[in-house]
Amino acid sequence: MPAITLRDRLNRLGAAPRPAPPPAHELPRGFEGLPTPFGMAAIRQDVIPLPPLDPYPGNVAYLDTETTGLAGGTGTHVFAAAVARPIDCGLRVAQLLLPQPGMEPAFLHALLEELAPAAGLATFNGGSFDLPLLRTRWVMARMPGEFAHAPHVDLLTLVRALYRHRLGACNLRIVEERVLGYERDDPLPSALVPDAYFDYLRRGELRALEAALEHNRLDVISLVHLHSRLLLRLRGLETGMDAADWLALGRHRFRRGARADGWRALRNATSFASGDAAATAGLTIARRMVRRGSIGAAETLLTWLESSVSDDIRVPVARARLLEWRRRDPEQALGVVEAALRRMPESEPELEHRLARLRRKLSARRLRGRGQGRARQVQLEVPISDRPL
Amino acid sequence: MASFPHFNTADFPGEITLDHVVPTIAPDFAPLPSDLRPDLVTALRSRGIERLYTHQAAAYKAVRAGRHLVVVTPTASGKTLCYNLPVLQRLLEDPNRRALYLYPTKALAQDQLAELSALKHGLPIEVRVDTYDGDTPPGRRTAIREGGHIVMTNPDMLHTGLLPHHTRWRRLFSSLEFVVVDELHTYRGLFGSQVANVIRRLKRICEFYGSKPTFICASATIGNPLQLAKRLLEEDTVELVDRSGAPQGERRLIFYNPPLLNRETGIRRSSMLEARRIAAPWIRSGVQTIVFCRSRLQVEVMLSYLRQDLAPRLDAHQRVRGYRAGYLPLHRREIEAGLRAGEITGVVSTNALELGIDIGTLQCAVLVGYPGTISSTWQQLGRAGRRSGSVGVFVASSSPLDQFIVRHPEYFLGTNPEEGLIDPDNLLMLAGHLQAGLFELPFAAEEKLGRADVRDLLQLFEEDGSATRSGGRWFWSRQAFPAEEVHLRRILADNVVIIDTSHPRPQVIGEMDQFTAPVLLHEEAVYLHEGAQFHVDRLDWNEKKAYVHPVEVDYYTDALASVTVQVLETFAGPDGVDLTRSHGEVKITSLASMFKKIRFHTHENIGAGPIHLPEQTLHTTGYWVTVGDGLWDAVGRGAAPSGADTARPSMSPGLEAGLQGMAHALRHVASLRLMCDARDLGSVAEVRSVTTQRPTVTVYENYPGGVGLSARLHELHRELLDDAAELVRECPCTAGCPSCVGPLHLVEGAKEACLRLLSGIALTV
Repeated sequence: MPAITLRDRLNRLGAAPRPAPPPAHELPRGFEGLPTPFGMAAIRQDVIPLPPLDPYPGNVAYLDTETTGLAGGTGTHVFAAAVARPIDCGLRVAQLLLPQPGMEPAFLHALLEELAPAAGLATFNGGSFDLPLLRTRWVMARMPGEFAHAPHVDLLTLVRALYRHRLGACNLRIVEERVLGYERDDPLPSALVPDAYFDYLRRGELRALEAALEHNRLDVISLVHLHSRLLLRLRGLETGMDAADWLALGRHRFRRGARADGWRALRNATSFASGDAAATAGLTIARRMVRRGSIGAAETLLTWLESSVSDDIRVPVARARLLEWRRRDPEQALGVVEAALRRMPESEPELEHRLARLRRKLSARRLRGRGQGRARQVQLEVPISDRPL
Repeated sequence: MASFPHFNTADFPGEITLDHVVPTIAPDFAPLPSDLRPDLVTALRSRGIERLYTHQAAAYKAVRAGRHLVVVTPTASGKTLCYNLPVLQRLLEDPNRRALYLYPTKALAQDQLAELSALKHGLPIEVRVDTYDGDTPPGRRTAIREGGHIVMTNPDMLHTGLLPHHTRWRRLFSSLEFVVVDELHTYRGLFGSQVANVIRRLKRICEFYGSKPTFICASATIGNPLQLAKRLLEEDTVELVDRSGAPQGERRLIFYNPPLLNRETGIRRSSMLEARRIAAPWIRSGVQTIVFCRSRLQVEVMLSYLRQDLAPRLDAHQRVRGYRAGYLPLHRREIEAGLRAGEITGVVSTNALELGIDIGTLQCAVLVGYPGTISSTWQQLGRAGRRSGSVGVFVASSSPLDQFIVRHPEYFLGTNPEEGLIDPDNLLMLAGHLQAGLFELPFAAEEKLGRADVRDLLQLFEEDGSATRSGGRWFWSRQAFPAEEVHLRRILADNVVIIDTSHPRPQVIGEMDQFTAPVLLHEEAVYLHEGAQFHVDRLDWNEKKAYVHPVEVDYYTDALASVTVQVLETFAGPDGVDLTRSHGEVKITSLASMFKKIRFHTHENIGAGPIHLPEQTLHTTGYWVTVGDGLWDAVGRGAAPSGADTARPSMSPGLEAGLQGMAHALRHVASLRLMCDARDLGSVAEVRSVTTQRPTVTVYENYPGGVGLSARLHELHRELLDDAAELVRECPCTAGCPSCVGPLHLVEGAKEACLRLLSGIALTV
């Protein structure tokens, strides 16, 4: 191609022009070479004081990565990883950096070595982001075997289960502020992290990269404290838990199959005896009781609940349903609905249908009952009485 | 001779240009291959297959020998067994092997899934066959990635879903033994060139995982199947199996040209109404008939026509059904079942059915308008060709292409001249796929993308910052997901969408490239779409949307655009005498400044308005024909009205319009020869070109950089001129009409001048 350059041709065809840069390299502050069987890795290691954790999670490695984008797929690189692990004299924090894309095997090997001594692995959203990406990188770097690690817990999943009702959005920044109670000045917004790395690759620029690495380091330290805090909440030992907190905990434990724990948490939520969450918890328990056949206990619970949370229409509706379908007592059900309507006249549209049906049933029964004397009062067989709650 | 459903040519006032009976072809069988697993033999027998057709046996043999293969046989000849048989055999031998099936559409993959599921039934191993596309529920995806023996997908999904996430597909790619490319003929032009690059990336990923799949292509009849397969796959040795052993019933083919209503404008009686008159009696008497329309809108209109014709029957809605892309798979399965059971006698379809979807045996096919290519026409007519005594009717519309085909049935029946052309090395396209490839795997220093040398491009990416060199390799270094920036089927991202607002729910009736839109879709334009007039109410240039509503007016609009062609580089030519041909890279600039409203018949100017749209430029490749001075002057003298200044013959309006007509006709016959959409090409006539300094007609590609079409046009120069001359000569109009010299050049003497220019006859009066 004589006079016309490739760039010209591409521009002519409509590709947007972009500027050109030269490369230069120097490791960020504190990083040093670490020889591995796959070449040199870059590592920065430090042991920082760790206040006594209660509960103490044990020998867990906390992992947080920085990537060249959120798109995923084979073209997204993990360029930095921080691993924090509580040891005898404090918290060991190791950070690995990928100085160049071609040095990935050494990076991944060093990372796995760093994770190896731990008996557990904790991340924040690692289940759907960091770990799949690392597995992809492992294949891409043609590393032998698999990217294998200890049993994993995703702290984001726990935060969502236990705190979403309080937080709404559950990103790490918000969790730090509202759960752990500290704010930090972020040296670099997350959105600028990939460019910080690209600027380092292209121009050897360190400032933004160092900020990104600091961000990465602080993130992983937060995870250690967050995990301890989550364990406290999981045990139900956190002070100041309200009905909604217990409800969230109960639901989470049920999802995990821990029924006894689930029951206990829901009961605790119910015992607040006011508000939405207490009612929801009580209704959940009542539903489970009915499913198990403990109709009497459910009825007792609902009656108590209605007297303590008197402004929640769901409670009288559940009670009326129980009386109508399980107890076969439309008369009493009607009484419950009518009383609820007097308390909450605004719920009429909701109750209208039920009310009409109950009245219909009742008049039909009276019609039938006329010929049969007081047959209704005969008890040929009775169920075992349920113990009250 | 078989008895055909009633069709009496005397009932139709138009012209029957072809009434041809294709004789029965006897089947040619071969025994089942001796190495075939007994289980597979049993499975085949249970489906009633005791022996193979010869082409199936030949295909099996070639694939078993590890040769890449392209099978070219007519519709309904059992093409799918050509690839299913060797693939299933191999899976029985080694259940760890994998196969990837590519179909151009999701619907087709769905259909083949059903087909294969029936065959694999009764095999001793569980052959897991799945479609994987945008509709696959997330819950199923992991299972398919891990365990699918045969994954059926489309090139778009391979491009954005599989390749950029290849590590998740490690099981598939590391054991990939077969890649089936069905409907090869659809991979031509722009789409084919894009898919060729996707295949380059696929092969690169396979190499990474250490597999080397055998490619099996299946195609409808085209002129150059082997060449297309070799280019698409970039393989030197591909075996061709093109002798079909499948039988064919006797069938009658009819070409029908509706009667001319207006000699001046070339308008004929509506092909829709004529098709309705043909199909309705058949459907009424229970002859299963399919009607192919060109657009979704036409499908709906034809449906209501045919249902009206059945009206006294209460089940008219049940008996005549629509079938087009956009219908849900379940709905379509139901229609297919209804056809098999005979409860449905009429189907109205767009070309969704053209691509080998099995709807059993229909007896009659009616084509409303020319489907665009000869092979599509055969495919659609072939819908009604599986049993003896079927009839296929092609009803021509007034468009130039339809008129050319209907007047040249021999072109249709004779050897097939259409070729699938691709150029995977279009620079812009290559750059896009190189970025996607770089995202997927780093590039080694000397590595190529397929056969394309990409070192310069990589260097350029490095300057741009998209690539970083490290340890002798290039790595992707941007945040973006490059595969999403490359669309396989769209010409350019910014097409103008045409929206008909007259329906309660506005409908998209078409789209137009950004380059042509200012001329045809400016505000107040009367836009012709499928033979109907639409008024452009609003053109939102930023949003790229044109809002139109149907009208019936007695005028058309003619936008004055100053179009200039600048030749940037000449690859070949000029050569020739009176009409020289050249080929090269061109820059087309178009600025539409105003439009005129012109009344039909009288051609009086009844209004005008300005157009305020930005100038458009397109860098592409083109083929241009330059008229020599001698010819120009001679034709000019003939075209000049008596008494005009014969000293300046080139100023004659008829002559200039003739040149415009030549551009119009050339473009249409070019799209016919190249088997491409008419919109893939544009043409310009210039009385004095800045480059050649002479009257010049340029036919250019509507995609930046081109995809190799214009090089072929350059080779076809002579044929194009002959075809174009014939198109104009045989048009029954008196002085030129939209069907020959184009809608905008109805000037006295234009047709004559155009014809003489095309013939290169320097007649003197």
